[in-house]
Amino acid sequence: MLRLTRIIGNATEPAIADRLHALDHDGRVETITLDAADTARKRLRVATDKGTDCAVALARSERLANGAVLLLEDARAVVVRMRETVWLALAPRDMAAALELGYFCGNLHWRVRFEGALVKVALDGPRESYLARLAQHLEDGRARLADEGEGE
Amino acid sequence: MTAEAAHAAEAAASAARVGIGGPVGSGKTALIEGLLPLFHARGTSLAIVTNDLVTQEDAERLQRSGLIRPERVVGVEAGACPHTVIREDPTLNIEAADLLERQLRPLDLILIESGGDNLASTFSLDLVDYWMFVIDVSGGGDIPRKRGPGIVRADLLIINKSDLAPHVGVDLVLMQTEASAVRDGRPVLLTNCRTGEGLDRVADHLAHDVLMEA
Ligand SMILES: Nc1nc2c(ncn2[C@@H]2O[C@H](COP(=O)(O)OP(=O)(O)OP(=O)(O)O)[C@@H](O)[C@H]2O)c(=O)[nH]1
Ligand SMILES: [Mg+2]
Repeated sequence: MLRLTRIIGNATEPAIADRLHALDHDGRVETITLDAADTARKRLRVATDKGTDCAVALARSERLANGAVLLLEDARAVVVRMRETVWLALAPRDMAAALELGYFCGNLHWRVRFEGALVKVALDGPRESYLARLAQHLEDGRARLADEGEGE
Repeated sequence: MTAEAAHAAEAAASAARVGIGGPVGSGKTALIEGLLPLFHARGTSLAIVTNDLVTQEDAERLQRSGLIRPERVVGVEAGACPHTVIREDPTLNIEAADLLERQLRPLDLILIESGGDNLASTFSLDLVDYWMFVIDVSGGGDIPRKRGPGIVRADLLIINKSDLAPHVGVDLVLMQTEASAVRDGRPVLLTNCRTGEGLDRVADHLAHDVLMEA
């Protein structure tokens, strides 16, 4: 078990980026991949891409982020990679449908953001279960999927 | 890293915060009562935050239990909505945990019991590092199939009151299998908080996943 108890810095900081680049040449950079939601945790038991069992235990004031460097030694570095949030884009048919859809998303405690006339729902779980909840709205055309390459 | 440096680094880490959610009466407080002696024996320094709607009932029960020093238990009154204080606005619970952490150094683990709710309650990861959801067999063997967010998303699902299965016509093996299926194989444990059966395995999970003991 590799104990990781602090965030040394971020992979985007020039000095750190240089060292990571050098280590990466010899395959000595290991990655921990996390869902965005899991970066709020201060304690995590996770394996790196190379299979190293990591025990992350941070002070409550620290916050994991994409690029957080948890270990930076000559022999090895460990960097956090955050999975991009996937958004489900929905286009309501008209004002009435929009009101209803907005209420519906809120009632299910979905995290959303608005882009023009679209509402985008952050997928925190399988896409199918979101589509199943939205079935009524999608079937009768009150809303349609507006992801790129989808819908009409 | 030298031993001293390792120790200093370890001291910087905060106490693990673990949520316990689940429907009314499923055995959340009983689970805590069962775990306390086990963690005591393992040398884990522990504190508890309980949530009740408008009383301190669970806090007082634990304070009177003789299983933990009363000053290690804080009750937070959740008001009308038990899930709001663990998800949308966990400020009161965060403050209670911060207070315990300041007063009781060093502290390894803070258990936060949610007020009894329904199958939809989930914990904010701003409040806890890890959370368990406790259901019980008397709620019915079909409960896992109903896929409440608590059941699907908890880090650890506990099916309590295993002793009652024959009395309520529940097939325990089937219930556990179905629960594992809706959770994509993430852990599901059976417990009987009356006898303590299965509690060692709950403590083992916490020791591994958040206390980083092995
Ligand atoms: N037979 C049996 N009874 C249990 C078990 N665990 C708890 N109980 C009983 O179930 C009842 C509720 O237990 P609690 O621990 O108070 O449940 P809770 O989830 O904390 O309840 P709230 O905080 O009110 O939501 C009590 O009467 C317990 O004695 C168990 O494993 N088997
Ligand atoms: Mg209780």
